[in-house]
Amino acid sequence: MAELNGEKYLADVEIAWCPGCGNFAIRKSLARALAQVDLPPHKVVLVTGIGQAAKIAHYVNLNGFNGLHGRTIAAAAGVKLARPDLTVIAESGDGDLYGEGGNHLVHNIRRNVDLTVIAHDNRVYGLTKGQASPTAPRGYRTRAQPAGSPSAPLNPLALAVAVGAPFVAQAFSGEIERTADLIAQGIRHKGFALVNVLHPCPSWNRVQTFAWYRERLVHLEERGHDPTDRAAAFAVAIGSGEEIPIGVVYRTERPTFADGHPVLAGDPVGLRPLPSPEDVRPILEGFL
Amino acid sequence: MSTVVRIAGSAGQGVQTLGDILARSVFRSGLYLHGEMSYHSRIRGGENTFTLRIGESPVLATEAQADLLVALNEEMLVVHRPAVREGGVVFTDEEVGEPGHGAVRLPAGRLARDELKLPIAAGVILLGAAARFLGLTPEVVRAEIRAAFGEKAEPNVRAVDLGYAHGPAGTPRLPAPRFAPGDRMLLTGGQAVGAGAIAAGCRFVASYPMTPGTAVFEFIAQHAAQHGIVVEQAEDEIAAINMALGASYAGARALVTTSGGGFALMVEGLSLARMIETPVVIHLGQRPGPATGLPTRTGQENLLFALHAGHGEFPRYIVAPTDPADAFYLTMKAFEVAEKYQVPAFVLTDQFLVDSYAVVSALSPTRVPVEEHLVPVEELDRLGRYERFAVTRSGISPRALPGVSEKLVLVDSDEHDPYGRITEDLGVRRAMVEKRLRKADGMREEISPPEIYPAGSLRGKRVLLGWGSTYGAIREATERLGEGYAHVHLRELWPLRTEELRRVWGEAEEVILVEETATGQLGRLVGGETGLRPHRFVPRYDGRPFTAEDILGALR
Ligand SMILES: Cc1ncc(C[n+]2csc(CCOP(=O)(O)OP(=O)(O)O)c2C)c(N)n1
Ligand code: SF4
Repeated sequence: MAELNGEKYLADVEIAWCPGCGNFAIRKSLARALAQVDLPPHKVVLVTGIGQAAKIAHYVNLNGFNGLHGRTIAAAAGVKLARPDLTVIAESGDGDLYGEGGNHLVHNIRRNVDLTVIAHDNRVYGLTKGQASPTAPRGYRTRAQPAGSPSAPLNPLALAVAVGAPFVAQAFSGEIERTADLIAQGIRHKGFALVNVLHPCPSWNRVQTFAWYRERLVHLEERGHDPTDRAAAFAVAIGSGEEIPIGVVYRTERPTFADGHPVLAGDPVGLRPLPSPEDVRPILEGFL
Repeated sequence: MSTVVRIAGSAGQGVQTLGDILARSVFRSGLYLHGEMSYHSRIRGGENTFTLRIGESPVLATEAQADLLVALNEEMLVVHRPAVREGGVVFTDEEVGEPGHGAVRLPAGRLARDELKLPIAAGVILLGAAARFLGLTPEVVRAEIRAAFGEKAEPNVRAVDLGYAHGPAGTPRLPAPRFAPGDRMLLTGGQAVGAGAIAAGCRFVASYPMTPGTAVFEFIAQHAAQHGIVVEQAEDEIAAINMALGASYAGARALVTTSGGGFALMVEGLSLARMIETPVVIHLGQRPGPATGLPTRTGQENLLFALHAGHGEFPRYIVAPTDPADAFYLTMKAFEVAEKYQVPAFVLTDQFLVDSYAVVSALSPTRVPVEEHLVPVEELDRLGRYERFAVTRSGISPRALPGVSEKLVLVDSDEHDPYGRITEDLGVRRAMVEKRLRKADGMREEISPPEIYPAGSLRGKRVLLGWGSTYGAIREATERLGEGYAHVHLRELWPLRTEELRRVWGEAEEVILVEETATGQLGRLVGGETGLRPHRFVPRYDGRPFTAEDILGALR
């Protein structure tokens, strides 16, 4: 049972998340997903940004790169390009991945680097105390947006499908098994995989609570949604506004960054030996 | 003594290609040269010049006056004729309206249209005429034409021959060959930085195009497949440096190449590099700022920016090469220092160095040893718990890669304990700050002292103090000033070695800073560390490189 729960992936350290936060469940789901795909911890790099969610790098037993706010996916892409032999997971908050890091999200979908991105979507900036995140609904009131957020929320699912992400899923942190399963599918999928995990933030977000989500969740599998149908994926991603889809929204095969790449096809560049002076002689001879 | 040839045309007239061919032909003839490309920030129109200085000994500076001007159109004739020396020659097309007296007018345009059916080849015809005038053999020029044009070479070879046939012979202007084939190399500073990076085992380059950093990016991209280097054009400079840090963490020696505005975006990443003690080399090709500044011009305005960029305190390594040979070796050294000390290292060049050709002694890939600075896997396996940030006397912690052993590697942008876990323990914080700063002591020892010319005492002398690519102009000025003057040059700028500088100030009669800035940044840097200030300052900040004449003019 410990095996299946992935306990070996969990660090026995003090955790600084608020009591009752959805982050705890996502941490469990991550461990179970890794147990499902059965990867040794040292073959996984967890790249995180900055925020409450990003602290997860310290609460697991994996290689960790806890970098800068917003730069999670950029750093993760660098790790993966240097070391295609490692499984690279980028994990952070919605502020980090969709706000400060929006550009890297878009362009790494284009690149289609084989990454699994787990977004902790609590619709607020947790660590900086509750400001609206890019996924906060219009009119959402905070101390920084006292009149309510004037902008429409970003729809990460529709964005990812539009830009061409080959794997797009949404999970709810309250459903540990299902979330684990979606993360595992994301890891197995070759190419860029986005798993947007909705999770209540009991400290700041008094609107999107556990109960609020439970009333609105719909499970795509039960609806007979065909995730390989892009038009259907868009319809699901855009949604009615009333229902919140959970499951694989879109899945396709697309050439990855590494496919056919003249260098990435060989040994990982991060493990190649240093060049010998002989290796550079042809370049130098070009200057003779 | 040198002979200066200037080719001037509008963008799109092939000035760079003609200049390259002429420069290579002169090089093939065994002569020293310096080739400087100067251009407006335009793809069509504007004004492009290639200034070729041919000399009996190494040439590392450019010159404003010319002996031979090849003007590809009337406007260029008008603009550049005043810079032709007394007794100099101008080659232009006979269709150019008012060539003035003494100009050699050739039917280049007509021949190109009628005989070659290739109007663009008019420039090559003029080039052929100039080559004959200089005394270059047609064989050498034809060979370079073939190398440059590949399949499209034949009409251009005929164009050169037409130039030779229609142009006048000059009194032989060029000296006898000075070196044998194979003894010297011809390359630009940009090519040299790229080659140095490859020689040092660079495996990952991420960059967002910005002149003049792009030259290095493109050079490495051309060789990437052959040498096993992942080269990626990032979505922005912020991505570039964060990708490079991810790659470096994972084991790939990493380079980013940019210019001031791009580097400004990388600054937070620079701080991250330091906090996670992950090596990265930053090629910062300077151009005048602020902001977008003069996109295609040169300057030295980023010294203090490179030195002070980043929040928080930490050591870094900064080199500023003088010429392409120096750029090759110092880039290799920057990678080695970055890897050994796990710090960011800067190769601070400028547009003049990156884009200029120079003839240098054949480069040796063994002069700077390339060594592994990672903990061997067997040693990792023997360790109980692996501490990525173990506190050591040298400040250098054992660096291991993820996934090569069962030991996990954890790095964090927050302050962290030796294992890499976030901490707010004030004692650990102090120990980490001190550990990181201690690296500067070791790095300072590795830095070569400033070059002093002529060697020996500076007593009673006026010292011209410089750094980076102004080397050639300052050296030439010093030689021409003769007795009573000396040249002190810094190529490795940080950590600063202060004892030699104190000696310079202690002995010299006067220290004159020569720098392509308006405020004298090296003076401020040295002043901040030692309290010593230059007595005089010779600035240039119009975006053009220093010539020896400029310096002599300022001192006279
Ligand atoms: C460049 C930069 N800007 C701002 C911050 C401050 N900051 C830290 S976390 C954060 C937002 C975190 O929100 P989110 O990514 O949604 O994660 P959460 O805390 O909600 O899990 C911000 C703005 C920072 N660390 N760095
Ligand atoms: S602030 Fe919100 S999201 Fe962050 S740990 Fe606390 S409850 Fe969880």
